[in-house]
Amino acid sequence: MQPHLKRAFLILVLVIIGFLFVRSFIVPESFGQYGWYRGDSVAELRDIPVGYAGSTSCSGIGNECHKTTYSIWVDSGHKTVNCETCHGPAEKHVIDTRIMPEPANDTREFCGLCHFESAARPVDFPQIDPETHGENLKCAYCHNPHKPWFL
Amino acid sequence: MDISRREFTKFGCRIIIGAAAGATIVESIATMGAAQVESPNKDYDWNEHLWGYVVDTRKCIGCGRCANACKLENEVPFDEPVYRTWIERYRVTREGNEETVKIDSPNGGIDGFIEDIPAKEIKKAFYVPKICNHCDNPPCVQVCPVGATYMTEDGVVLVDYEYCIGCRYCIQGCPYGARYFNIEKGTADKCTWCYHRITKGLLPACVQACPVGARKFGDLKDPESEINKILDKERINVLKADLGTKPKVYYVGLDREVR
Repeated sequence: MQPHLKRAFLILVLVIIGFLFVRSFIVPESFGQYGWYRGDSVAELRDIPVGYAGSTSCSGIGNECHKTTYSIWVDSGHKTVNCETCHGPAEKHVIDTRIMPEPANDTREFCGLCHFESAARPVDFPQIDPETHGENLKCAYCHNPHKPWFL
Repeated sequence: MDISRREFTKFGCRIIIGAAAGATIVESIATMGAAQVESPNKDYDWNEHLWGYVVDTRKCIGCGRCANACKLENEVPFDEPVYRTWIERYRVTREGNEETVKIDSPNGGIDGFIEDIPAKEIKKAFYVPKICNHCDNPPCVQVCPVGATYMTEDGVVLVDYEYCIGCRYCIQGCPYGARYFNIEKGTADKCTWCYHRITKGLLPACVQACPVGARKFGDLKDPESEINKILDKERINVLKADLGTKPKVYYVGLDREVR
C-alpha cells in the first residue's frame, strides 16, 4: 500500500477513535437502556410529586377527617364531582393538615361553568338560565353544593 | 499501485459510509436487545400495562375543570395560551342549505364559553375534549433529532426535559396540535397522562376532575378494565385515523366535523 493511503487510513482510524472517545463522555450512561432515549428520565418523570389526592383522602379509606360532609356528598347528585374539582388540589393538605387549600369558589359564575344554559350541553344535564333563575343570589344561598337538593 | 483522485475519493467514501452503517447496526442491535428488560421502577412493572383513554363526547358539558386541573397538577403556565388538554366547542348553524361550523376554545375552556350565537340559530352543538393521543406510531418521536421524546413500554409518550434542545420539530410534527413549547422549562412539553400519577395507581388529574365521567382512563391489557368494556360495547372512533398514527385516545359519539 502506498504511503499516502496509509496516512489517509491512519487519519480515518484516529477520527473514529476520537469520535467514540468524545461520544462516551457526552452520551449519558442510561441512554439506550430501554430504547433510543435516556432511561433515567422515565424514573425522573415518575417521581414528580402528586397534586390531587383524590376524594378518598378526604374521608373513607383510612381516615374520617371530613366524615359528615363526605357522607352527605357520597349519595348526592354531585357524587360524580370529586372534592378537588371545586376545592382544588389537596395533596399538600393531606400530608400536612396545617397547609390549608384555598377556599372553594362560591360565585355564580363558578357554578355556571357547569350549570348555565348552553346549546352544546347534553339536554338532560341540569342547566339554568342565569338571567331568570335565582335573582343573582349565590347558588349556595338555596342549594347545598355538597347535595344540591338538600335545601 | 497507481490510484486516481476519483478512485481514492470513491474508496474513502465507501469506507466512511460502511463505518457509519456498521455503527448504526451495532447500536440498533445493542438497544434492541435491551428493549424488553425490567421496568425502571421496582414497585411498578411497565410490561404489565398498556394505557388507553376514552372520551365520551356525548357526556362532556364543557366546564373546563379538566384543563384547569391539568394546569394545576402539571405546572403548565397559566398565563400562556398553552394546554396539555383543552375543550373545543363545535356549533353548526344552517342558513338555507348552507351549513357553517364555528369552532372555538377560549383559554382552553378553563374560563367557560360565551354564548354569542342565539340558541335558536344553532342546529347542532357539542363539546369535544382534546388531549395527546399517545399514538402507537407517534410522529413526534420520529422527528426528534436527539432522542428526547420516546414511548415507554406501557404506551405513554414522554419528553425528557433534561435532554430536549427545544428545537420544536415535534410541535410541528404532531398532527393533533397536542404539543407546546414550555417557556419556563425552555423545552417542548406535552401531556404525560400524568405518568407520575398512573404509575402510582392514581387516575390522571383530568379524568379525576371530570364531573360527568366524560373522560375514562384504564389499562388496555386488562380485559376487565372499564375502558375495555366501553371499547367492546360502544361505537368508537379515533382522530385522523387515516394518518396511521394509531391513537390510543378513543372517542365515543364523535361527529364528522371533528378533526
